[in-house]
Amino acid sequence: MRKVLVSISVAAAVLFTALPASANVASLDQLLKQVKQDRISERKLNKEREQEFLDERADKLSLLKKAKRAQAAEEARQVKLQKQFNANELALVEKETELENAKGTLGEMFGVVRQAAGDTVGRISTSIVSAQYKGRGELLSKLAEAKELPTLKELEDLWFALQTEMTESGKVVKFNAEVVELEGGSTEQTVTRVGTFNLLGEDKYLLFGSDTATVQPLGRQPDGYIVGAVSTFNQATAGFEPLYIDPSQGLILGLQTAKATITERYHQGGLVGYIITGVLALGFLIAIERFITLGLIGAKIRRQLKNTDAPNEGNPLGRILKVYQENKASDTENLELKLDEAVLRETPRIERGVAIIKILAAIAPLLGLLGTVTGMIKTFESITLFGTGDPKVMAGSISMALVTTAQGLIAALPLILVHSLVAARSKSIVQVLDEQSAGIVAAHAEQEKA
Amino acid sequence: MIYLMELWESVRNFIATGGDVLWIVAAALFLMWVLMIERYWFLYVEFPRVRNAIVANWDARADTTSWYAHRIREAWISEAAEKLNARMLFIKTLVAICPLIGLLGTVTGMIAVFEIMAVQGTGNPRLMASGISMATVPTMAGMVAALSGVFFSSRLEAKVKVARESLIDSLPHH
Repeated sequence: MRKVLVSISVAAAVLFTALPASANVASLDQLLKQVKQDRISERKLNKEREQEFLDERADKLSLLKKAKRAQAAEEARQVKLQKQFNANELALVEKETELENAKGTLGEMFGVVRQAAGDTVGRISTSIVSAQYKGRGELLSKLAEAKELPTLKELEDLWFALQTEMTESGKVVKFNAEVVELEGGSTEQTVTRVGTFNLLGEDKYLLFGSDTATVQPLGRQPDGYIVGAVSTFNQATAGFEPLYIDPSQGLILGLQTAKATITERYHQGGLVGYIITGVLALGFLIAIERFITLGLIGAKIRRQLKNTDAPNEGNPLGRILKVYQENKASDTENLELKLDEAVLRETPRIERGVAIIKILAAIAPLLGLLGTVTGMIKTFESITLFGTGDPKVMAGSISMALVTTAQGLIAALPLILVHSLVAARSKSIVQVLDEQSAGIVAAHAEQEKA
Repeated sequence: MIYLMELWESVRNFIATGGDVLWIVAAALFLMWVLMIERYWFLYVEFPRVRNAIVANWDARADTTSWYAHRIREAWISEAAEKLNARMLFIKTLVAICPLIGLLGTVTGMIAVFEIMAVQGTGNPRLMASGISMATVPTMAGMVAALSGVFFSSRLEAKVKVARESLIDSLPHH
């Protein structure tokens, strides 16, 4: 197409040039000649190019052949390797059975070793003997988790660890150990170990924390007489000394640290607890005031009893005797009425406050009950919020409920006792006035007459 | 001596299982019995002497029928009754208080149980057992203490009443 265009354009050019100069015929011949020549050269060119393509095709064919050959080679190799793999596999099985046969009964033994190591690792890492011999746990846990056969040395180490534990569990020894103090820091101390049961400091019980592998004092020590045995035990050089040990290997002693102190318990009672304290204090104050007043009145009455001639206005009996002195002239019936009236005037002042103590003693357990109820309300609130799944959530407010009950009782008991004392005292004074004053007056009158 | 030591040891173990409240029960029980024994002593040893003195004084009186004589007789009876009734109210209160102390022990024991529950959960009943024994032992001890006192204190009260009545009967108006 291009060629056609070229020839047309060439022809056109010739035409244009020819038209104005129609005389130029020679140039047309020339053009024809040239076209012919061009056709020849172009054909030649095409041939060349065709040849070139053909050549290249042969080349590619040879390359393909080469690649196919390579593939075949690799496939062959694969087959060979597969065969080898299978053979190896068989050999492996064979060797394994061979190994099993060679181990024989020993295989069972290694299982036992692993199991023993697994069992021992728990016991030994928590045992207080580890406070003395450190780093025994790692080896055992390695042995328990190992997949391959244990070496002779490892077997010996397991044996050694078990033997140590056994031997040491029967001994009471002293050794130096680092004790981590509760208020921070640590000190080197002489620690007494009683078998696998207890670690003792100078005068207190120690705990062995298996997580951190540290020795620390017990947060709260047990009762005084239990702790007191520790220092006497430590000071003993010969013979036998009694000692309290924890057979649960620290569990029971550990519970001590979780116990609340008395002040903490007191504040658990909350508002109701404070009110009960107030009631108790009020009751005691009234009782003290009554004791002092009644004691003074009683002393004055006793002094007056010794001296009935000179009635003193400062005490109830004196005031009653005064009534007699003023009504000596009147007849006995009139005098009795006057005396009764005087006694009636005195009794309220003596019996005052006694009933209040009784009421307070009755109120205190009721307040405790109130605290119990509010505590139970809190418990049920927490049950609606968290469900009954976790007893720890409920236990908190239940113990609060119980603490107020205890506080109520603790307040009521001394108030009841104090009330009975005050009541007995006031009763005896009233009895003197009520039943004996007339007699005193009569005896006095008889003396005067005689 | 060894027997006493063993006895003391067993008492201390008992108190250790029951908690400190048992000390209070023991104190109340001790006080109660000391007072009751003192009362019995007074009733059987002291009071007959007091009674005889009063009766002799009365018999010695010439005038036993006038208003004055009546009042004096009443005063003497009242004085004797006062001596007879001294500390009786306190004894009765102690008897009444014993079960209350036991109840206190129950409550403190239950506090211990719930404290252990709060810390350890309910998984280990053995740990709770100590709290439960602290709850039940003082209750029992309080009951036993009260029972031991109830019988004798009511007997004592009856005896006091009888003694007073018989004193009144032996002071006739002649």
